[in-house]
Amino acid sequence: MSESAVSLDAEIAGEMLTLLPERAAYWQRKRTLLVADPHWGKAASFRAGVIPVPRGTTTGGLDRLAAIVSATGATRIIFLGDFLHAREGRALETARALATWRQAHAALELVLVPGNHDRRAGLPDSSLGMTCLDAPMLEHPFVLAHHPVSSVLGYTLAGHLHPGVSLTGRGRLRERLPCFWFGRDYGVLPAFGEFTGLADVSPEAGDRVMAIAGSQVLEVTLSVR
Amino acid sequence: MTGSLTSELESVEAWFAARGWTPFAFQREVWDAYLAGESGLIHAATGTGKTLAAWVGPMLEWMRCESLLKNERSSTLRPRPRLRRSDAPALRVLWITPLRALAADTRAALADAQAALAPTWTVESRTSDTPAAARARQSKHLPTAFITTPESLSLMLSRPGAPDALRELRVVVVDEWHELMGTKRGVQVELALARLRRTCPGLRTWALSATIGNLEEARDTLLGASRSSAPSRIVRGVEPKTVIVDAAIPPIVERFPWAGHLGTQMLPQVVAAIEEGTSAIVFTNTRSQTEIWYQALLSARPEWAGVIALHHGSIDRRRREWVEQGLRDGRLRCVVATSSLDLGVDFSPVDRVLQIGSPKGVARLLQRAGRSGHRPGATSRVTCVPTNALELIEIAAARDGINAGSVESRYPVTRPLDVLVQHVVTIALGGGFEPDALASEVRETHAYAGLRDDEWAWVMRFVTSGGESLRAYPEYAKVVPSEEGYVVENAMVARRHRMAIGTIVGDAHIEVRYLRGPKLGSVEESFVARLKAGDRFVFAGTPLEFVRIRDMQAWVRRAKNAQGAIPRWMGSRLPMSGELSAALRARLGEAAAGVFRGAELEAVKPILDVQAKWSRIPSVDELLIERVKSREGNHLFFFPFEGRLVHEGLAALFAYRIARLAKTTFTMASNDWGFELLSVDAAPLDQALASGLFDANDLLRDITASLNATEMARRQFREIARVAGLVFPGYPRSGKSARQLQASSGLFFDVFQRYDPQNLLLSQAEREVLERQLESSRLGRTLARLARAKVVITSPKRTPPLAFPLLVDRTRERVSSESVGERIRRMQLVLERAAG
Repeated sequence: MSESAVSLDAEIAGEMLTLLPERAAYWQRKRTLLVADPHWGKAASFRAGVIPVPRGTTTGGLDRLAAIVSATGATRIIFLGDFLHAREGRALETARALATWRQAHAALELVLVPGNHDRRAGLPDSSLGMTCLDAPMLEHPFVLAHHPVSSVLGYTLAGHLHPGVSLTGRGRLRERLPCFWFGRDYGVLPAFGEFTGLADVSPEAGDRVMAIAGSQVLEVTLSVR
Repeated sequence: MTGSLTSELESVEAWFAARGWTPFAFQREVWDAYLAGESGLIHAATGTGKTLAAWVGPMLEWMRCESLLKNERSSTLRPRPRLRRSDAPALRVLWITPLRALAADTRAALADAQAALAPTWTVESRTSDTPAAARARQSKHLPTAFITTPESLSLMLSRPGAPDALRELRVVVVDEWHELMGTKRGVQVELALARLRRTCPGLRTWALSATIGNLEEARDTLLGASRSSAPSRIVRGVEPKTVIVDAAIPPIVERFPWAGHLGTQMLPQVVAAIEEGTSAIVFTNTRSQTEIWYQALLSARPEWAGVIALHHGSIDRRRREWVEQGLRDGRLRCVVATSSLDLGVDFSPVDRVLQIGSPKGVARLLQRAGRSGHRPGATSRVTCVPTNALELIEIAAARDGINAGSVESRYPVTRPLDVLVQHVVTIALGGGFEPDALASEVRETHAYAGLRDDEWAWVMRFVTSGGESLRAYPEYAKVVPSEEGYVVENAMVARRHRMAIGTIVGDAHIEVRYLRGPKLGSVEESFVARLKAGDRFVFAGTPLEFVRIRDMQAWVRRAKNAQGAIPRWMGSRLPMSGELSAALRARLGEAAAGVFRGAELEAVKPILDVQAKWSRIPSVDELLIERVKSREGNHLFFFPFEGRLVHEGLAALFAYRIARLAKTTFTMASNDWGFELLSVDAAPLDQALASGLFDANDLLRDITASLNATEMARRQFREIARVAGLVFPGYPRSGKSARQLQASSGLFFDVFQRYDPQNLLLSQAEREVLERQLESSRLGRTLARLARAKVVITSPKRTPPLAFPLLVDRTRERVSSESVGERIRRMQLVLERAAG
């Protein structure tokens, strides 16, 4: 039942965003990938805490990132916070995987908007050549931030929540999936990281929700009970 | 008995006589066997003197030693009176009890005889409820007889220096062994016993058990390999007392709900029954039902405030003890309880026992009935209160089971690697080990007798390097080799492990406490996680308002009224036993032939008449399948009457096999009578029946595949992740850094499946679902029975009575041959109404 990857184009605040089933958004006009909450090194920080989590989540995520960079032709990635998971996760192998990835994508511009985890985990190694901001970034019409909060400066695109939705259907069907959630003042991207969970969000009438169903992004019908 | 013991035995007999008793023959048999160095198992109904059978032997042995010593010493030298606690003889008797609630009572019962027969002994108990100061005192010097839980025993083994303290240990008595044996806590006991037998050669082991169907196996599980090195026996206690089972019959059955587990429609009858006696226990099957019935009784009889109480495992210790004492004093008119009051404790004033809902098993009903008339030879009576009309048939079937003496077996757990992982870390903490020696010690248990070399190697890898088959994690070091063998060096690992030992059962729990005031008990984290500030819920009989979660505690304040949710505790739905299922099928078979025997069947006849009119009452050699169409889709109801666990397995298997014929998605619901497959479009049932729906070929392959299609293994992994130390309860006030190491067991399951599929904890989850949850052997037997059965398919216009409970069941599994995308297109997100 393998289906080919299907992304979804959505007009948000007058801009065209391509929502990717790889849990990221591509801003076509700016040739920019928006990636929220990668939590690199999360599994390594668990191992450092003597909890055995298998290897591979970081490289798995980086492979996914490489695939969408080449598929979209992006020239820039803006990370919407929580780049590294924890200080304990800054293991040698995490750093090495990130450096190798960077070498293979040397021309890319990398920007990090700060998230709550970044404060404790520390900023990424300077050798990665990332622009690390200390506040949300304004790029009309968007405010690119970690926390989804309304702003007078523009429409906020953010992460932090690891949004998920529970869908229901006839025959008592129920499905819980990661999603993109666009409200009136802000939109929230799914968490990019592999070893991350979901938190159910509560959209309101008029919001748009696009769920990631396997390799497809599908807009969800909202109905008020 | 040897002649030299005459005087000691005389003091024992005198002590019995002072209470108006004479020792039973089975008690003397146990004493003799104990003194001869034997181990064994004593089985009898509760309240028939099992405790003294096991307890007097060790004291006789001590009295003999003392008198020999006295004869050697000059007769003028009298033993000095004991002044200090630490002057008491060293630990000789370990008494393991499965329930904290039993520890205090057992202590009192043992101390009573000890004060007269072995006055220099100390008898103390330790559970997770014991205050820290008392624990510290006990750690320094153990009492002569020590009553403890399996978890606290494991904790003892995790302290270095345990072997010294155990030098004088003569016997381990395992109380209520039938309760422990079928669980991972039973395995924990087996492992501890293997360790103790190494430390104390000649150690004897005695188990106290209710009568179960497989006593030999129970004894062998207890003794493991030690059975071959010393004689052992099974001793039967006095004949079970007469048990009367009756049912509260609803006055108008037609208007009584067919389903719905929580109805309190029978409240008037329950109140009347409580008023008949002086002191009653009302048993329910779930903790939430205790809360509901307690509230209902209070609103029916407000004047009972203060003389009725509730008791379940989540309630704080001090409240539980108050309730238990109240029962003993006869101060309480009624206690609403779960299985937390099933065992051992002697509440003599109790003269009325009620069972709300089906007892689900013959042994369980016997046990609960035994709570009244708690004296050898007395009559026990239990009144069953149906929560829906069809339960009346189960009650009649349970009585049939008791009359036929078909008591259920309890099956021991084999090779759970999560428990072994935990044990290996425990032993590493308790002074270290050599792998080969530990492996052979572990293999002396019944549970791990068949432990394979590769499994042991995997466990060693898991605790030393993280367990992935190909690579080791350099940053991971839980257990490390040293000069003293494999030990734990990391203090954080040690602390976290000791905290986790106690959490082998149940979901992660969170303490419930008042903003200003005491703690009330603990509730499952999954319940608290759904609460928002201001939400109301009822706990420990008190309406509460949720304020916030902080430091792993749920902070609450008292709410004005009782309107609100009742916490739902997981894993509380007991499946109907195989013995009861067979009796139920027989009763329905009679009804199909027009025979309605007894008050219960007569009462339920109008409903069975509806079933016969709309569909059919299946006879014993028939399998009834009902096809019903509704707004929700097409329903298929199957009625094998084999208990919920088998039905869950059959539902997944049938859904999987039918979905192979046509692309479809099923949601399934199961109960003790049957199961439902629901799909949007009609399923090709006839084609499935023709192409071998009940086929035993490829059974294991198909069950495994259907299992992977559901979330069952993923859910089973919750417990495994906790026991193996992947997720841990967390410490109060541990702050942010600990929270960054918290992930759900579901996340672990997904990551393991993707990046370490060879991880044996994953295959254990699968095996546990197959063997224990789905009872695959019973499932195979059921399939064989169904293959021989006459299939009767009906297509009723409305949902008939037998199917109705399934129709309204909201907890569902899913099996699908469609992709997520295909399913999602038919689904929607229902928004919460705006708060108003």
